[in-house]
Amino acid sequence: MQVPTHVEYERASSVDEALEMLSRAGGEARPLAGGHSLIPMMKLRLAQPELLVDISGLTELSYINVADAELRVGALTRHAQLLDSAVAGERLPIVHDAERVIADPIVRNWGTIGGSLCQADPSEDLSAVLAALRATAVIRGAGGVRTVPAREFHAGPYETVVEPGELLVELRIPLTANTGSAYEKVERRVGDWSVAAAGAVLTLAGELIEDAGIGLTAVGAPHFCAPEAEEFLRGRRAGEEAFTTAGQIAAEHSNPVADQRGPEDYKRHLAAELTTRALRKAFERA
Amino acid sequence: MTAPTITSIRAGRIGDSPQRPDGRQKVTGEFAYSSDLWLDGMLWGATLRSPHPRARITGLDITGAVAMPGVFAVLTHEDVPGRETYGLERPDQPVLAIDQIRYQGEPVALVAADHPETARRAAGRIRVSYREEPPLADARAALAPGAPSVHPGGNLVRHVRVRRGDPDARAAVVVTGEYEVGMQDQAFLGPESGLAVPAADGGVDLFVATQWLHVDRDQVAASLGLDPDLVRITLGGVGGAFGAREDLSMQIHACLLALHTGKPVKMSYSREESFFGHVHRHPASMRYEHGCSAGGRLVYVKADIVLDGGAYMSSSPAVAANAATLGIGPYEVPNVVMDSYAVYTNNPPCGAMRGFGAVQACFGYESQMDKMAAALSMDPVEFRVRNAMREGSVMPTGQVVDSAAPVAELLRLVRDRPPPPARDTGDLRSLPGGVSNTTHGEAVVRGVGYGVSIKNVGFSEGFDDYSTARVRLELTGGEPSAQVHTAAAEVGQGLVTVLEQIVRSELGVERVAVLPADTTIGSAGSSSASRQTYVTGGAVRAACAEVRSQLLARAGDPAAGSPGNRPPGLAGAAGLGDLVALLGKPAEATVTWRHRPTAPLDPGTGQGQAHVQYAFAAHRAVVDVDTELGLVKVVEIATAQDVGKAMNPQAVEGQIHGGIAQGLGLAVMEEIQVAGGVVRNPSFTDYLIPTILDMPPVRLDMLELADPHAPYGLRGVGEPPAISSTPAIVAAIRDATGIPLTRIPVRPEHLTATQPDEGPDPPSAMIMGRNAPHRVPFDPRS
Ligand SMILES: Cc1cc2nc3c(=O)[nH]c(=O)nc-3n(C[C@H](O)[C@H](O)[C@H](O)COP(=O)(O)OP(=O)(O)OC[C@H]3O[C@@H](n4cnc5c(N)ncnc54)[C@H](O)[C@@H]3O)c2cc1C
Repeated sequence: MQVPTHVEYERASSVDEALEMLSRAGGEARPLAGGHSLIPMMKLRLAQPELLVDISGLTELSYINVADAELRVGALTRHAQLLDSAVAGERLPIVHDAERVIADPIVRNWGTIGGSLCQADPSEDLSAVLAALRATAVIRGAGGVRTVPAREFHAGPYETVVEPGELLVELRIPLTANTGSAYEKVERRVGDWSVAAAGAVLTLAGELIEDAGIGLTAVGAPHFCAPEAEEFLRGRRAGEEAFTTAGQIAAEHSNPVADQRGPEDYKRHLAAELTTRALRKAFERA
Repeated sequence: MTAPTITSIRAGRIGDSPQRPDGRQKVTGEFAYSSDLWLDGMLWGATLRSPHPRARITGLDITGAVAMPGVFAVLTHEDVPGRETYGLERPDQPVLAIDQIRYQGEPVALVAADHPETARRAAGRIRVSYREEPPLADARAALAPGAPSVHPGGNLVRHVRVRRGDPDARAAVVVTGEYEVGMQDQAFLGPESGLAVPAADGGVDLFVATQWLHVDRDQVAASLGLDPDLVRITLGGVGGAFGAREDLSMQIHACLLALHTGKPVKMSYSREESFFGHVHRHPASMRYEHGCSAGGRLVYVKADIVLDGGAYMSSSPAVAANAATLGIGPYEVPNVVMDSYAVYTNNPPCGAMRGFGAVQACFGYESQMDKMAAALSMDPVEFRVRNAMREGSVMPTGQVVDSAAPVAELLRLVRDRPPPPARDTGDLRSLPGGVSNTTHGEAVVRGVGYGVSIKNVGFSEGFDDYSTARVRLELTGGEPSAQVHTAAAEVGQGLVTVLEQIVRSELGVERVAVLPADTTIGSAGSSSASRQTYVTGGAVRAACAEVRSQLLARAGDPAAGSPGNRPPGLAGAAGLGDLVALLGKPAEATVTWRHRPTAPLDPGTGQGQAHVQYAFAAHRAVVDVDTELGLVKVVEIATAQDVGKAMNPQAVEGQIHGGIAQGLGLAVMEEIQVAGGVVRNPSFTDYLIPTILDMPPVRLDMLELADPHAPYGLRGVGEPPAISSTPAIVAAIRDATGIPLTRIPVRPEHLTATQPDEGPDPPSAMIMGRNAPHRVPFDPRS
């Protein structure tokens, strides 16, 4: 039995109300979405908020739609909803690749996309996916709405640029023509977090790579991405040679640490191999 | 509060597969495990454990804990009224640490409080000053002259020597190898738990999940300073055992707290504490040399096997004997020089686990058999068959194998199974990495490997191995019904079902109740060593024969005097009417039953009739390996096993599947990682047990070659499946990759030519009570 310390609880019925509750409590309040990350943190006393603002009933933040050549995903969308979304599956296979291997059905049924990103775990799969896709995060606070590129969303492990009193409300993912994408993950056992994972997004112009996005999970890549490998690929002929070299570049710029999921050298090896495989698959799908 | 009487009116005799009486309850979550025990007004016990593997205790201050509201008792070793140590073979393990610490997690103090959280926090307020000392963490180094001693008298727990034939024999082809086995955990799902209730007569009643009630009782009584009759143990619902419940965990602790407070005390370990609360499988370091004629006949085997027993003895001496006597495998070898050592270190204590010494050795000798086959350019199955033991073969101990030993036949059966279908790249579950999406067939190579094993059944080396059973036949509601009472632990293996089947077959009645196992009847021995159906089954059969004989005497039948005879009158439907008439008063018999005796090993040569029965199994593993990512998928296991008599075919199959899963775990997943005496992965997040997605289909050939010495001709089935499945899988991975794997479990980094490393510093955690303490470094994933 792990028992959190005393905590106040309020349930918000609108985003405005939630923002108001959060700012009233100052830095000591936390939004509660699915609770799959926050509640364990509280049980272990690693998070000790004074107030929980329950936002799980804010259906206005639960949606998936297309507008202005973007897929827009409300922050309270559950993993399972994203996995069920036909438009996400068709246009952004990388998202479905990843969602299929995030946790287990129970977590996916209740855990939210917003909670997942705001938890900012270095092993979080969606962070790499959104970095590869060059998505944009929409953040709302008392002062209004601001947007932040996914690649600037994380301030460090378990830290984001969302300020106390703000909420992540939406993610915007560009839908680009002639583009394929894929996500490849190695886990120790089904349902586990990544030992390492890589996502790739390739936009082609004929045989040439017009643009590339590479996301890396759990290997200490700054901002979950591999800009050097992307740079290498841009303008190059798509193919095995380019993909293999890009994988090596991505691995060189990653900085994994040894832990229970594997030794450093093996994780770096995976970064290379998985990047190559994800590129290969993205190319097939483009 | 007492364990439920498991009554069954399901039909099913020997050879049938009736539904288990506890099956539905377990599947629906209604079964009461020992962790569900509850009494109003009970207290909760918590254990303070050492974070260090080796240290001196220089100070212990309990005042902070005692002062906490809700705390009823805080105990240290000074509060142990009787013997301050316990142990299965020798009492070398302190009930609570006495001035020094020999392994990480050693219990130091106990708390009883009115709430588990209070107990846990109070334990955290006990101030212990430790003077840390460098741990002795390497088993071979522990044997070196000048190594610091973990216990007075040195670090050698036992050296078993086996010598047969010419120690200087030479051979045309020689292969050598060094092999290592990591520390496997039994990983049962129901952590250690129980409830101790103080009794008016000064004694205590203990309800607990265990494997062997009577040795628990004797050890508890000795430490409490009580007459054994004042300690009454009843089996609680057991959530798996696999050997880990043969030693004590919270038994003495809960009883101490109950007697000190005068209140019932419940203790229930968290998953993390469970990793520190029971013994594990001995890690092994083995050196083998095999000599063979050019024609492929084994000439000699020389081996030394070092088993890391950790800080306390537990059953290490018997494990060492198994490794030594079974350590060349089920092969005929005229010349053997075998030395097996169990040693003390400051690693976690190791003891019984399914396969018990045979597992470690099997990885060594089967790896060698493949290596030799390759050196001879022979087919690995053909080479094994050529050297296979058979009935009448002589063990390295000089013991003649005097019942079926169909080693060659088992090997041929698995070899001749049709191969599994080719990879289906459309089904990710069937590929290395499983559903994690990483392999779509790239770099995947298939491999095939074989393993065959030998295991002793029952307790060996002259141990007085017996069981006690009471069978009572009476009329209930005008119908004959039987009650069976033994102290044999149902640990999930299905013993209760089999005992019912035996009674139905022997007495011809359908209604059978198996009473809760407790110490009001004589010992049944341990639910281990694949022995319980054999020994307690034997006792129940003998008690039934007595009952039958009593009834026949009542009927004036002249066959009454010879209980061995089986007159059809009682078993057949025709006799049932008579039976009702004869049961004017109940018929009851209590029988103590022994299997034929064994003998100790000669200490110089290891010669002796040490084992009562041998069991054999063969495995063929087919694997797919993603050679770039180092991921393994076991595609299929084909197995063949001689079970003598399938008392309950479905239960046999269950044992075989489960054993294979455990063998697969040891091959590629399961290891307690210990660095410098400190456990790095005490959780099911980081200690990886196979899931249903890791487990391949099993193709099974079951032989029933009766053993004339055993009841019903049966042969113990529980352990062999867990023994040779492991080397078969490793052989298959070698076949796929060409990498000479010498250590299990095989890890992805071994298959990708990347550097293994030591990983981060382990947590310095104080483990206590039911819960992971919050001072353990945070991993939100656990
Ligand atoms: C067993 C298990 C396995 C898992 N495996 C994986 C895995 O393999 N891969 C993976 O990527 N993830 C994995 N996860 C993580 C899982 O995806 C997250 O726990 C879940 O998505 C978090 O969402 P939530 O809604 O439950 O967040 P919560 O727990 O409610 O919140 C998490 C954090 O985000 C904050 N927050 C939530 N919503 C907002 C918002 N809209 N604006 C600002 N802050 C907000 C909260 O205050 C809190 O700090 C696993 C989790 C579990 C429990």
